[in-house]
Amino acid sequence: MTSATGGEPFGRCLLGHADALYGYALRLTRREADAEELVQESYIRALTGAASFQGGNLKAWLFQILRNTYIDLHHRARPQPAAVGAGGLDGPDERELFCDDLELDRLRRLVAADIEVALGTLTEESRSIILLDVEGFTETEVAKMMGCAIGTVKSRLARARALLRQKLKDYAR
Amino acid sequence: MDCSNVRPLLSHHVSGRLDEARTSEVARHLEGCPSCRQLALVEGALDGALATLPRGAAPARLLARLGGLVLDGDAPAGTATGAPSPPPPLPQPRPGDRPRGTESRDRARASTWTAAFVSACAAAALVLVVVRTSAPSSALSRGPDLVAEAVNDHLRVVASTHPVEIESGGIHQVKPWFTGRIDFAPRVTFSGDDDFPLRGGSVGYFIDRKAAVFLFQRRLHAITLLVFPPDGLAWPSATGAPVGRLSVTQTTSRGFSVLLWRDGGLGYVLVSDVNAHELVTLATKLND
Repeated sequence: MTSATGGEPFGRCLLGHADALYGYALRLTRREADAEELVQESYIRALTGAASFQGGNLKAWLFQILRNTYIDLHHRARPQPAAVGAGGLDGPDERELFCDDLELDRLRRLVAADIEVALGTLTEESRSIILLDVEGFTETEVAKMMGCAIGTVKSRLARARALLRQKLKDYAR
Repeated sequence: MDCSNVRPLLSHHVSGRLDEARTSEVARHLEGCPSCRQLALVEGALDGALATLPRGAAPARLLARLGGLVLDGDAPAGTATGAPSPPPPLPQPRPGDRPRGTESRDRARASTWTAAFVSACAAAALVLVVVRTSAPSSALSRGPDLVAEAVNDHLRVVASTHPVEIESGGIHQVKPWFTGRIDFAPRVTFSGDDDFPLRGGSVGYFIDRKAAVFLFQRRLHAITLLVFPPDGLAWPSATGAPVGRLSVTQTTSRGFSVLLWRDGGLGYVLVSDVNAHELVTLATKLND
């Protein structure tokens, strides 16, 4: 299949996104072996479903497959942190959104390991919406991946980021 | 705009992803609102922190496995029908959407990382094509895709760090585990023995459908048994050899022995690098 991939063989175009997909999978599963299996299973689904890709952002299509695969294989089988707040997404209390110079200073001194740990404490939905945003996907693409309205993406992302800030307070050095 | 309207937009504002009109509105609000201004600074700092997350590379062993899949996926296998759960195509970005520009960076880095690997794949594909076209005609008239998929599945099982989801305590432990996980009941009564111990089972995909996967062992060799509904698959039309009460088609692919048969409305495929005679012995035990 080459029609929607600029003449490149479809499978080889998929390979170009392997690193980004593995990074996302690793932050979803938090285990290298599970991440590898998740990426592999996602590629199998992508290849068998190649006919349904009719153009657009191939990377976004792959990320959507990977997230669906993760939910199929992992998420439903394991207990998740309790979801609190509107829309089923965990979120901090409004009062905890208060920020000051101390928080600003702490955020600026964070290291990647702190963020990894804090991200790992979020629900899959919160983690995903932050990671997909960091990955550079548009709100339209994220809305499609998450199966919600664009306005919902905005509010969920804001809540997820606020919650991440709250978690980061515990890990800041 | 008041604080409740502005705050959800601040992360987009600081990363420059709002359109011009919204940017002006938010900027006007920030001029007169110290708390939102402070929050904007924090959102910017959070963006900076998230940007420090490492963007690791996929392990070489994973790329190698994906390369094997892709080679088959780019072949005119005609298996892209009835996919399990591929999502519909994503819409094009709307004019208001402004991605952060990380994609081009990621693409460039991913391309660099995989360029050598893809080149190797291309070389391997060429070799594969030559081997395929120069090989004698297979005894299977319409089955090579199905056989290739079976071999791929076997390789995935072997390469997996968790080849079985249920460790074997005998077939009476493995078979019930499939209940609720697949919508068919594999007819497998052989519990394994000293020659062919049963290591366990898992649920996998065979082309576009779920399959029950049983993993047997012969000395140090893994043997994969795939059981799946065969509806719609191009099943080999070659006449099989009698094994017990069944007609079993025997073939080889990429050095792997493959046996295929149908029984009770289900398809069965055995794959391994053991010799064909040993695989027939296991097939006989499975069909006793």
